[in-house]
Amino acid sequence: MATILETAAAAGAFNTLLAAVDAAGLRGALEGPGPFTVFAPVDDAFAALPPGTVQTLVDNPPQLARILKYHVLAGAHSREVLVQQPAWDSLEGAPVAIRRSEPFEVKNATVVNADIVCDNGVVHVINRVILPG
Amino acid sequence: MTATIAPERTKAPLIPPSTHRYAEVIHRLEAGGSMLPDTPENLKQIIGIYKAYAVPMDFYWRDLLYIAERVFLNPLPAFKYFISQEYLDRPCSYSGDQSKLRIWRGGEKAHPELLAFMERGETGRMPKLLHHLWHDRVNMEFAEACMQAMLWHQGMGGRFNDYLESDAYKANADRAIKAYFRGNPLMLGLYALFPEMFLEQVRQLSYYANLGLFWEVMAPVFFEMSDIYDEGGFKGVPDAMDFLVNGIFAVAGRPIYHHLYIGEECYEIIPKSEGFTWLYEAALPYVEAVFYRTSPFRGTKSYNAQAGQVPTNQADFHYGILYADVYPVGSAGIPPTLLMQDMLHFLPPYLKEIYREHRRGEEDELVQLGITFQRSMYNVTSAVIQALRCALLYPLDDTDPEHLLANRRFFEAQMDRFLRPEARLSDIQTQDYR
Repeated sequence: MATILETAAAAGAFNTLLAAVDAAGLRGALEGPGPFTVFAPVDDAFAALPPGTVQTLVDNPPQLARILKYHVLAGAHSREVLVQQPAWDSLEGAPVAIRRSEPFEVKNATVVNADIVCDNGVVHVINRVILPG
Repeated sequence: MTATIAPERTKAPLIPPSTHRYAEVIHRLEAGGSMLPDTPENLKQIIGIYKAYAVPMDFYWRDLLYIAERVFLNPLPAFKYFISQEYLDRPCSYSGDQSKLRIWRGGEKAHPELLAFMERGETGRMPKLLHHLWHDRVNMEFAEACMQAMLWHQGMGGRFNDYLESDAYKANADRAIKAYFRGNPLMLGLYALFPEMFLEQVRQLSYYANLGLFWEVMAPVFFEMSDIYDEGGFKGVPDAMDFLVNGIFAVAGRPIYHHLYIGEECYEIIPKSEGFTWLYEAALPYVEAVFYRTSPFRGTKSYNAQAGQVPTNQADFHYGILYADVYPVGSAGIPPTLLMQDMLHFLPPYLKEIYREHRRGEEDELVQLGITFQRSMYNVTSAVIQALRCALLYPLDDTDPEHLLANRRFFEAQMDRFLRPEARLSDIQTQDYR
């Protein structure tokens, strides 16, 4: 099996996310044993943000890291487990709400592909970048 | 061959209409509009006042950072409004060729109209000290009143305030205080006796930095909006609001920090690496503290706290511009009036013309421009509401009724804040309110 980042790289639809993980200096942490649950926004999700949003974050790694950590939970949680609780604490500190189980929605994003099991966790692919608040 | 034309179908709305008292405004927000109605005069008024606001704001942000980073704990800060040339020339991060993200097409140094006013004021050319004592200058007290509102209300989202109570912050502040008063046994002795008092002053200075970094963004945003309008670029109020929404997103990740400079040496009191952002730690707390809450100020109106005229809960405070009765506010020394006085110096000609044509003309220009400012801040608040909806909820053209209902609940909850009688939301729906 591959790690979370190897799986994302192989999928080819997470180029912005992977570049952001590098810019934020989170590669080492996400390659660790974890395990983690990662809500991975596809490239289109980043592209949908207004111009300049991603660039400002990439220029400021600690701030970028904070937003990315909001997409990560400690522990490997499948969809089945996640929907049993209304919210989960992210590594950023703020809770991530599970809004609907069918269709599976995390915060204001829809999970387009759930339960991709990796060596060091689980990936759920989402269609929007989620933000704390 | 005959072409068949399909009968035009009117799309049935996916959710029923709102029954809220401000249903009309809510439906406008759901259609991508602003709380402020889309009329040519509203557009003209708000852009004109953004321009007039941006010029003194260019002074506010520079001086706020000058005080936070240089004046710091000066026990007799009589000259804190005498900003140094370095800070007047400090390149704005969002204008000028050097800026990574250029929002305003203009230069990076202090605005030429600001420099001209600082030199001549209303009276004429004279030494800076006389301008200051005659109070013929930019009313920096307004900026400090906004900062104090943020300091005083605290817990309004974000992590900034919690950090000010952390051990890491206390250690950083301690290092900065000891470095600042190095070789000054009197102040170091006072610090040893009353450490909390010094620490609280540093916390306030961190809010100076916070607000300065917040306004460093807003000044170029407003200058650019004025330039776009002068070119005929905005078609209506929603365009102006959308520009603000995009601006909010573009700079959302800007770091909020507090550095102290002693000579060339930098002491990081709040390092950038804490990850504080412009949106969460500055913009949202600012809107809450200044647009909605602030606090009752001494002036022509008295409040009786025992009679419940001042809410017991700080979250229910409603003395911000969105609730202000601009007319009695218009007295000397009151923060909003200080701002109006500042804006009066930089009104574009088209706005002066509107004021001359209505009410008492130039006689009540301060009141008229105060109401224009109120309109413009309803538009900025609309931009914040739409940005939050965009960040936390769903697109306006979403086809899932559940999502549209979530948006609806959010808009209704926002409008609930304007149900109290002091709110000016109903007033700004008509052009007669001047």
